Amino acid sequence: MSSTAETVPPDAQSGGTLGSLMGPLVPVLHQLIRLIVLLFTVTTLLFFMLRLAGDPALVLAGNDATPQQLEAIRAQYGLDKPLVIQYFNYMGNLAQGDFGKSLASGEPAMGKVLTMLPATLLIAGLAMAFSIIVAIPLGAWLGFKPERADRRSVSGVIFVCQGVPGFVTALIFIQVFAVNLRWLPSLGMEWGTIIEWAITETLSIPIPVPSKTWILPAASLAWFLMPSLTRVVAANTAEAMREDYIRTARAGGASAATLLWSHALPNALLGAAALIGTQFAFLMGGAVITETIFAWPGIGWLLIEATQTLDFPVVQSLALCIATLVFAVNALTDLSFQFLDPRLRTKGN
Amino acid sequence: MVKTVVRIDDLRLEFLSQAGPFEALKGISLEIGEGEIVGVVGESGSGKSVTAMNLLQLLPRTKINVPTGSISVLGHDVQAMNERQLQAIRGGEISMIFQEPMTALNPVLRVKNQIDDVILRHRHVTPKEAEQISLKLLADTKISDPQRVYESFPHELSGGMRQRVMIAMAFSCSPKLIVADEPTTALDVTVQAQILDLLKERARDTKTSVLLITHDLAVVAQLCDRVYVMYKGEFVENGKTSDVIGNPQHVYTRALLNSLPEGKAPKSRLATVSAAMLEGNTGEVIDEPIEPVTRIARTGDTILKMQGATVRYPKDYNFFGRPVSFHTAVDHVNLEIKEGETLALVGESGCGKTSLANAVVGLNLLSDGAILYRDKNILDLNEETLREIQIVFQDPQSSLDPRWPVWRIMTEPLTVGKSPGKSELRDRAADLCEMVGLENSQIDRLPHEFSGGQRQRIAIGRALSVRPKLLVLDEPTSALDVSVQAQILNLLLDLQDEHGLTYLFISHDVSVVKHIADKVAVMFQSKVVEAGDSDQVLTAPTHEYTRTLMNAVPSLNRAFAA
Repeated sequence: MSSTAETVPPDAQSGGTLGSLMGPLVPVLHQLIRLIVLLFTVTTLLFFMLRLAGDPALVLAGNDATPQQLEAIRAQYGLDKPLVIQYFNYMGNLAQGDFGKSLASGEPAMGKVLTMLPATLLIAGLAMAFSIIVAIPLGAWLGFKPERADRRSVSGVIFVCQGVPGFVTALIFIQVFAVNLRWLPSLGMEWGTIIEWAITETLSIPIPVPSKTWILPAASLAWFLMPSLTRVVAANTAEAMREDYIRTARAGGASAATLLWSHALPNALLGAAALIGTQFAFLMGGAVITETIFAWPGIGWLLIEATQTLDFPVVQSLALCIATLVFAVNALTDLSFQFLDPRLRTKGN
Repeated sequence: MVKTVVRIDDLRLEFLSQAGPFEALKGISLEIGEGEIVGVVGESGSGKSVTAMNLLQLLPRTKINVPTGSISVLGHDVQAMNERQLQAIRGGEISMIFQEPMTALNPVLRVKNQIDDVILRHRHVTPKEAEQISLKLLADTKISDPQRVYESFPHELSGGMRQRVMIAMAFSCSPKLIVADEPTTALDVTVQAQILDLLKERARDTKTSVLLITHDLAVVAQLCDRVYVMYKGEFVENGKTSDVIGNPQHVYTRALLNSLPEGKAPKSRLATVSAAMLEGNTGEVIDEPIEPVTRIARTGDTILKMQGATVRYPKDYNFFGRPVSFHTAVDHVNLEIKEGETLALVGESGCGKTSLANAVVGLNLLSDGAILYRDKNILDLNEETLREIQIVFQDPQSSLDPRWPVWRIMTEPLTVGKSPGKSELRDRAADLCEMVGLENSQIDRLPHEFSGGQRQRIAIGRALSVRPKLLVLDEPTSALDVSVQAQILNLLLDLQDEHGLTYLFISHDVSVVKHIADKVAVMFQSKVVEAGDSDQVLTAPTHEYTRTLMNAVPSLNRAFAA
């Protein structure tokens, strides 16, 4: 292989020195610029779309407000000014870190979002973990010998599960585990408790105990994520098993377990990582239906409430928060590819 | 008396498929003695890989049926062994080297893990000792920096280095038998020569028997003590390599040898296997002289001229996504082709020959210099003239749209900027089929219904649809069997005679080039290092690289001269 690297005439190279000075920071800067453009676009689009949706003054004043009361409210919130001026005011405030106050409660809008966020992150993380723990071994098992009768019947069941809507699963879970068996609570959310485990008189270790309220929402959400992930892992494993390097490993005397776990699965996970990233990014928007059914106080639930009451500052803050999280998850997914696939690791100079 | 390492006795093997059983091996018998290097030579689909895979029982047992025959490898009746027993001998007493070094190693595991794994599985050593053994093995394959290769991922190594890793792996547990399935087919000739030497040397040093599977008679001639010739699931001939190649008894062996361009008069018609097989009953020699064909030399004016043609690809980008450094694929090439002439561009992978071919048809833009067609820059040509230059790609498997019928593929160039009627196009496609030796009743078929050689005929027909003057042929026979290659070479020469075509023929195969080209240009590291009449360049090369290349090409004559 010949590789004749060349440098071009000096005038074309001015950007090169800049690039080399920043070195490893360049990709980070690229991502930051992308994030800023994304947030700006989301905020601007949402601002104008929400103003088309209705008049917040009507919501604030209630149905039987007099025109004078409406005027007063508009003046108080700056809603009487031209839309463009409102937009610049809003953007100016944003730039200073002021996300506005909730029209409904008067609390800081972003603060409200951030207090609801942990509940959503908790359920998303739990559901994702459940789903991964089941789907990867199950998918690997299915993809290893997909032609066998037992694998085919399990695949059939998974295929059917994939067609069942998430809210149906949630309702069945509530009926079975909360109503009939009375094992688990069907509504609400509690943080876990911490038990002090006393080892000696003076020394004790705090042990977090998860709350029972987590189980049903997380399980029904995981149930919704699992079939597609299982199928992707299975398909990728089956594909990897047909590759030449599997033949090489077999010819070297590798056992079935080595073939599957050391050779096929690491390759199959490359495809699975892409789907896990997409699913997780999707969950960042709040599992609206799940949170509503289980009265789970997360941002999906807040989104429904804020949209219904036209609580613009809260909706705007939600959008910013969700956009940032989705962005972060996508960036992490890209990073995980580099971790999983040595071919994508850029060679350090 | 030498000990027998492998004995296959009257083995029959059927593949079970939904369409019914397919007999892949029709009663083969084979013996390999200790320390012997035995070749199995045959074309694709002849059953040679099935034979190799079957020695280690690597074929899925649920999909095959063995009605008769026995295989004894090192005294084991491998057909009676279960998977666990087989795992104990695979990679230990018997190991394998595969064809495609790009895909035969796991892309996400370091070389280290892949070799150490095999050693730890079969030898009672600690991981530390395994590492020492691996490094020693890599050093034995004459890899320049064993430590670095040991720590590398496969994609960080070149094809030749990966194949050395495969060889190190195959020798790792001191096997008695190595099965090498086309070990050098995917490699450049100079690398192939090194790998073959290495394989032979390692086998001789360790007294290991080798079963070499290949399609290349010249490789067999260079390496093997004895050879089995395989055709349609049978060994039609076997014996000492020099006997089989020097004095072939079976009609197929003769035909195979006659289809090789090496040693034949340039531009003569090559024998093709199907024609030979149709003529006689198997086993009987037919003395069929190869008719030299007088080709009319119709050299005219200069049709194509490259003036300092340079192609650069961006390599690194700055913050704003603008390229700051470049890889030069084609470096100031000056060449000229006269009308009716064939200019061959020879070189190894990565030398820039395909980049140049693409530049001639406008698929690559030149960074510097110019390409002139009949004294006009190709960038300034009108559409009509531009069509006089057409290209045929290497792999007909992937260069034809799998969902289009042949008539649409062949006539697509005619629909650019025009809209001829369907019946007109179908008529033209039927004519083209006749021209390239396909039946005109086949125009409604899809590419997958054809063999590799037929697909290449379709690709040539497509290029001919617009009545080109200059045809760029980018490795048109590299993906084909030798007998099929002979058919395509015959076709190309006939077409040139009939239509006065000019060829720019890109190839890595010196014997093919010798056969078809009037002029040769040798490319090395992006530059043309030598150019001139093909006789002169290939028989009396002046540049050092050309000499290396010529010496590396496996040759039947040279193998026996030595």
